[in-house]
Amino acid sequence: MITIVKESPKYIIGEVTITEANLSNSDEFKAELVKLLDEHQKVLIIDLQELKYVDSAFLGALVSALKYAISLKLDIVLAGLRNDIRDLIKLIRLDKVFKIYNYAEEASFAVNKM
Amino acid sequence: MENCACKVVFEFDNSADKLVSSLQYMLDNIAGGIPLHADPDDILFRCKAIITELLTNAIKHAGQSSTRFDIESDGAKLTIYKTDTGMPMYLIDGRSNGAGTQIPADNKHLISADPLSSLFAIWESENHIRFASEEGSLDDFLAVEQLAEHFGILIITNSSDEFTYTYDKKTRENIFRVRINF
Repeated sequence: MITIVKESPKYIIGEVTITEANLSNSDEFKAELVKLLDEHQKVLIIDLQELKYVDSAFLGALVSALKYAISLKLDIVLAGLRNDIRDLIKLIRLDKVFKIYNYAEEASFAVNKM
Repeated sequence: MENCACKVVFEFDNSADKLVSSLQYMLDNIAGGIPLHADPDDILFRCKAIITELLTNAIKHAGQSSTRFDIESDGAKLTIYKTDTGMPMYLIDGRSNGAGTQIPADNKHLISADPLSSLFAIWESENHIRFASEEGSLDDFLAVEQLAEHFGILIITNSSDEFTYTYDKKTRENIFRVRINF
């Protein structure tokens, strides 16, 4: 579901390989995020460019994982979102709590400057 | 399945495997009925968000073999109905038997609140609820732990011009109605 494509001292970039994220796989998605945070102890940049469809269960899993990341003094950063998914995130104001970038490279540059 | 320019009736079998294909079927039907004066990208984005959450709700809560969707449109509005005969929403239960949710005198009940949004149920009659949301004040944002993790009703409320729930005691039907103005 998530493939690590790059690792640096401050962050890892994980590419989401599924195209549909909904209530049938949201628990598994959250478990993978938590596992990556536990194993790497770095900021997690998630590249979501393959994702075409999400629902509220997926967004709930993202928020739950973000809470866990913050508890570890880490972060989850989103990149590569399709316009409609980005608009959905804005609709419920989650853009106020997630850092969102157009591309994973852009996100990694920003994380390095933190 | 019945289909014409102004009305689509769709039976969803509450299967997660058919969620995306069911969504696409309904969006394809809606796309053909959007009037020229409306913004099709905006209408379809809102419909996608709404129908996705109604389908998800059906899978989670309908508790039976199928859920009916009725989509009606005219030159002024699009209305989506989701109907099933599963258990009534907990808010109605609390109202009718005195247990669970206690309804304030002004008929406005806070369903959830976090620093981003507050979601309300407003009783317009005994078994008829309208949902409403308000943006929260980020000034009160102390920690990410305060955030809610359930967004289905909020997404539908924020995507629509009106979102209501009715429990029909005679037929035992749960009817969610969502209106989008063109």
